[in-house]
Amino acid sequence: MFKWSRLPRWAKVLIGSLASCLVVAIIAALMVGYFRFIAEQSQTDGERNLREVYSQVNGSYRKLMRRNFSVLDSCGEYIILADQSDEVTPEEFIKQKQETWGFTDFYFLNEQREYYSFKNGAVGEKPLDNGQQELIENNERIMASEKIDGNLVTMFATPYRGTYDGFAYTAIGISYSNEDMAKALNGDAFEGKSDTFILRTDGTVLLSTQVGGGAIENYFLYLKGTVDDSRIAEIKTNIQTLCEGSDYHKSPAADEYGYLTYERNGEQRCIIYIPIGYEDYALLSDVSFTAVSQGFLLAQRATMRVLLIIFSLIVVAGGAVLIAYIIAQSKQNRKELQYRERMFDVLSNNVNDIFLMLDPQSQRVEYISPNIERLLGIKLKDARSDIRVMATCAVDYNIIIPNDELQAIPIGSSRDWECEYMHQATGERRWYRVVIYHMSIRGMEKYVIVMSDRTLDKQLNKRLQEALDAAKSANEAKSNFLSNMSHDIRTPMNAIVGFSMLLERNAGDEELVREYTRKIMASSHHLLSLINDVLDMSKIESGKTSLNVEPFSLPDLLEELKIIILPQAKAKEQDFSIRTKGVPPDEIMGDRLRLNQILINLLSNAVKYTPQGGKIDFTVSKVEDAGQFCKLRFLVKDNGIGMSEEYVKEIFRPFTREKNSVVNKIQGTGLGMAITKNLVDLMGGIIEVESEVGKGSTFTVELTFALVQEALPDAWFRRYVTRMLVADDEEEICLNIREVMRGTGVDVSYVTDGEAAVDAAVKAHRHKSDFHVILLDWKMPGMDGVETARRIREQVGPDVPILVLTSYDWSDIEEEAREAGINAFMPKPFFTSTFFQTIRPLFAEAPKPEKEVPAEAEGALKDRLFLVAEDNELNAEILTEMLAIEGAKCEVAVNGKIAVEMFQKAKAGYYDMILMDVQMPVMNGYEATRAIRALEREDAKEIPIVAMTANTFAEDVKNALDAGMDAHLAKPIDMDAVRKTVAALLEKSAKGDNK
Amino acid sequence: MKKLLCVPLAFAMLGAVSITGCTNKDAISIMGKESDLNKPYMKQIFEHYKQSTGENLNIIAVKDAKFEDKALKRMGTKRAPDILLHFHNADLNRFNVTQNFLFLNEEEWVDELTENAKAYCTDAEGRLLGLPFWESSVSGCYYNAKLFEENGLRVPTTQADFNGLCESLKNKNITPILWPADGCSWMAQFGLDPVFADGEEGKETLEKLNAGEIGYGDIPAVTDMVTWLDNAAKSGWFGKDFLKKGWDDISPALASGEAAMTFIWDTWFYTDFTDGKYKKEDFALMPAYMGTAGTFEGGNLNMMMVNKNGSKKEKALAFLKFCAAPENYNVAFKDIPTVSVFEGQNTNIQSKMVTEAAEKGEIERYERVSTASTKIVGYSADDMMQALNALFRGDMSVAECVKRMDENRIEKARASTED
Repeated sequence: MFKWSRLPRWAKVLIGSLASCLVVAIIAALMVGYFRFIAEQSQTDGERNLREVYSQVNGSYRKLMRRNFSVLDSCGEYIILADQSDEVTPEEFIKQKQETWGFTDFYFLNEQREYYSFKNGAVGEKPLDNGQQELIENNERIMASEKIDGNLVTMFATPYRGTYDGFAYTAIGISYSNEDMAKALNGDAFEGKSDTFILRTDGTVLLSTQVGGGAIENYFLYLKGTVDDSRIAEIKTNIQTLCEGSDYHKSPAADEYGYLTYERNGEQRCIIYIPIGYEDYALLSDVSFTAVSQGFLLAQRATMRVLLIIFSLIVVAGGAVLIAYIIAQSKQNRKELQYRERMFDVLSNNVNDIFLMLDPQSQRVEYISPNIERLLGIKLKDARSDIRVMATCAVDYNIIIPNDELQAIPIGSSRDWECEYMHQATGERRWYRVVIYHMSIRGMEKYVIVMSDRTLDKQLNKRLQEALDAAKSANEAKSNFLSNMSHDIRTPMNAIVGFSMLLERNAGDEELVREYTRKIMASSHHLLSLINDVLDMSKIESGKTSLNVEPFSLPDLLEELKIIILPQAKAKEQDFSIRTKGVPPDEIMGDRLRLNQILINLLSNAVKYTPQGGKIDFTVSKVEDAGQFCKLRFLVKDNGIGMSEEYVKEIFRPFTREKNSVVNKIQGTGLGMAITKNLVDLMGGIIEVESEVGKGSTFTVELTFALVQEALPDAWFRRYVTRMLVADDEEEICLNIREVMRGTGVDVSYVTDGEAAVDAAVKAHRHKSDFHVILLDWKMPGMDGVETARRIREQVGPDVPILVLTSYDWSDIEEEAREAGINAFMPKPFFTSTFFQTIRPLFAEAPKPEKEVPAEAEGALKDRLFLVAEDNELNAEILTEMLAIEGAKCEVAVNGKIAVEMFQKAKAGYYDMILMDVQMPVMNGYEATRAIRALEREDAKEIPIVAMTANTFAEDVKNALDAGMDAHLAKPIDMDAVRKTVAALLEKSAKGDNK
Repeated sequence: MKKLLCVPLAFAMLGAVSITGCTNKDAISIMGKESDLNKPYMKQIFEHYKQSTGENLNIIAVKDAKFEDKALKRMGTKRAPDILLHFHNADLNRFNVTQNFLFLNEEEWVDELTENAKAYCTDAEGRLLGLPFWESSVSGCYYNAKLFEENGLRVPTTQADFNGLCESLKNKNITPILWPADGCSWMAQFGLDPVFADGEEGKETLEKLNAGEIGYGDIPAVTDMVTWLDNAAKSGWFGKDFLKKGWDDISPALASGEAAMTFIWDTWFYTDFTDGKYKKEDFALMPAYMGTAGTFEGGNLNMMMVNKNGSKKEKALAFLKFCAAPENYNVAFKDIPTVSVFEGQNTNIQSKMVTEAAEKGEIERYERVSTASTKIVGYSADDMMQALNALFRGDMSVAECVKRMDENRIEKARASTED
């Protein structure tokens, strides 16, 4: 069953349109039919009106003719009679008639075409044309239009013969002015919108109701060009036909007329003609059709008005319905639009793409997504009011396309470019791909701009590029590395291989064997250090290096450095000094090992590249103190060979070594400074270098450390030491000690030579106010520290503790110093903690420090039995042989699992120690250690286990300790290290200190 | 007046060659517009004079546009010409004719002039200002007789007939009267001539007007004329867009039959009309009916005026006498189409239109000497046209138009007095 609601929208629209068209067509057809009917009726009505009106006019004119001819007839007879009578003269008679009938003049006419004017009393010529003259001669009546004295008149004439005033005439006539005659034609009919003529068949106008009356001489000629010639000919013929039988003595018959319509200058007109019954004359009227059919036209207009009103009402009603529908539709559309806009806003708010729509001419913003505020920091209202505000966010203004270029984009085309924008508030940068579409939307030009966020792509690309660059760089570095390694490894290897061959060949020569062995070992150590550096570098660069931050003593670190560097410097007779400035802290948090590595690298280089007898200063100073942190500066200054400006720029790159004759002779991997730089970077510090060829170099490292808050032994100082004397030829050191001791409450007096020190001590003694401690520099000009101490002892006695402060190894003078009365030695630089630890044992109440029993390294391995877990047969053999040299034995397990099994099977105490490789098949060293420690036997927890591995990094050490091992020894095996480690562990084990 | 405006323009368009006379010290100087001095009969009389007397002439031809200013600057100075060639029009009032020119009423040749020519050259006080030596013509309503005949139309003899004719022509879609309102300012003066030229009444009206006793508004005939013009314009008798039409539109409209009549002069058909569907022979002359009496206007003539203060005024008078002699002017005007200016003028050609009108006695009956433009002090054809155009545009009423015409006249009259 048909249901309207089920029809699709297009079908409804189509059916509605067709129905509307049908209704309109029906109405139009009805109206056309109606108006045709009205037009036909109006024609009929007009024709009837015209006929009625002009039949009457025609009748009147016929009557006028009859009357005038009648007048002439009566005049003709009477004038003759009057001329013979004495009662009334012809003049009086004519005047009477003129007064009665109103003609303008009376004429006597002769055959010579002369006339005698009664009015003028004179004779004139040619009043009538030849044709009319002929009529007179033929004894006919005439009616004609004549121009007499310049004025058009209508003349009626009739044959009569006689003589008047001596003028022999053959006809008499009377004339009327055309203006008067025209009144008979009722020119006012139809509101004056008519021209009525008395004319002949040839069109000659006798009389006209037109203004002036004389403009048209021939009406048919006048009509020519407006009305078809055929129709004009038809009129002529009709008039001719109608004239036949027509008689002015009678009224015109009802059908005695002709009628036609025509158009003149857009106006419909109609012509009616009726013969006047005299010769071929007819009355013709040319009338505006509007005037003729006014009644019908009024009705037509009224009908039109009514129809118009009805139609208007229909239109208005339809329009109202349509408007209501449009409004409803518009509301619906608006709602949908708002919903879509809202959806779009929500969507755009959640994406990083920006959408705009602009008017190309005014640049007015017609739409802009609200996320612009979030993405670019531009307020929405600012962007809406002036789009140019977006340019302020563009990082590069040049990338913004000028307006004229935008306008050059053809409709339907687009243009795109990339532009970087910066958030106005946060400064965040974003990349956009801006695509501008020039399009026509419903006939209106628009710019639709889509700004697609490409920030992530850009960042990704950037990272990829960086990664690519890094990969290239790494590849390059790898190539360089391999190249360098190839060279640097082959060099010591060449020595090792070469001398090994020589050793084999000269095995019998003990001296050569020793010499070759020493050189092989030297090359081996160099190769080992090279490998260590390479691995260290590799570890750092791979980012796998982590810092092992723990509290450590700065004085201890410096002491260790001194112990390491001083012998090297001493060997080259270099002046090496360690100083402090600005009271560096004693205890700090940091990676002691890495810091040590950094400083050893710097100091070793200083020793290496400073010639014999040169000077090396190592200064530690506190440059910044910020509560729980302090920044320390480590400055290593030498007066060595220095470096060129070019090399200084390259010094921190791996495998770089300056190429000069001096450097070439010095062994080095070229990795030390690179490692140092990386370590400093890793620790968040900075390293700088100043150098000049031939004058030396200065390396400065600045690092920040957390402070370990350790309470100073102030109370102890207040009790035992409140006054002390310092003697050092360098006043700066004296002042530094005073500064360092400021917080302890100790009053520090200082002198700068030994004699002054003696004087000060003696003086104080005499005043019975001895210094509680006297601190003497060893090497002072004049009287050195030992001599000064001796003198003080001589005069002051043994009670005052005397300490010697020195940067040097005092072992050589220790005996002499003690004999001179020196109680103890203190390393430079001066630290409170070191000082405290040194002097505390010197005061009676203070508990004596436990004497440290040094591990007896020598012979520590003798008669020991080791369980060695080593999968590499060669390494196992070497270790076995080396232990055998030391008088020890070992049993080898080829993996961790076997080692565990062997330990498990052995009796308690069977093995003195386990030397455990880490990387082994089946079970690695860590697992094996854990397994052993987990065993249910008494010695499982106690037996020392030492890692012996090529994994030498701090992490490896930590992992080893975490797994339950007691120590870590790096491969290749250094037997000294083995001895010391074993001795220390066995000592601990003996004390039951282990675990 | 009309020639003053139109003939120079026509010659300028044809590219007239200027005359540069010699500068003989004894030679009299004649100053005039370049286009006027280039007329063939002027060149002819100059040449004839030189040949006949052996005397030289110093011809000073001035570019038309600069003529009035230059002539004004020179008159009254040593550089003033002995003879000035000038029309009798409003511009002449600026020259202070009493101080600068001789009055020639007593010259022997005065009787040689036709009455109309003499009247044209005589000012309001009866003083003969110069010798008219110029082509003359009859101005009036020139109509296309052939077109009339083709359309069965009769030549009107009264204003009413003329109005009926105009309406009949309009009904036939033919522009009854071509009235080129843009720049052709002479037409209105035709209608005014009967007002001021006819009999004692006209003379008295003119005197009162010039004396400032009355204005145009006091003369009913002036209002009649303006009313008729207003009605004609509104009735469409001047055709469509007539306010934009000018000199160049006249010939094509008449030759094509688009228009049937115009107010112009006969020699125009020999100088400016170009035959088309209709030829000049198809045209005829009838009086101009403009709400006043039907009229023909006599010629507007360039006069040779003698510098009263010149050192060679006797010689200049002798030159005028030479020009006014029949044996000389008949040489100069031989075969020139013009109405006779001199009584004994017989070598010139008279136009067919004027001849026909003369044969019908109409010239004698209707012709009046150009009066309004020459005798009304302050009269300016341009001012008249400006006021009428404002009326035609509907900017003002008939009364306001008449008032504006009067104000323009009075202003011009005052200005000329101040000059």
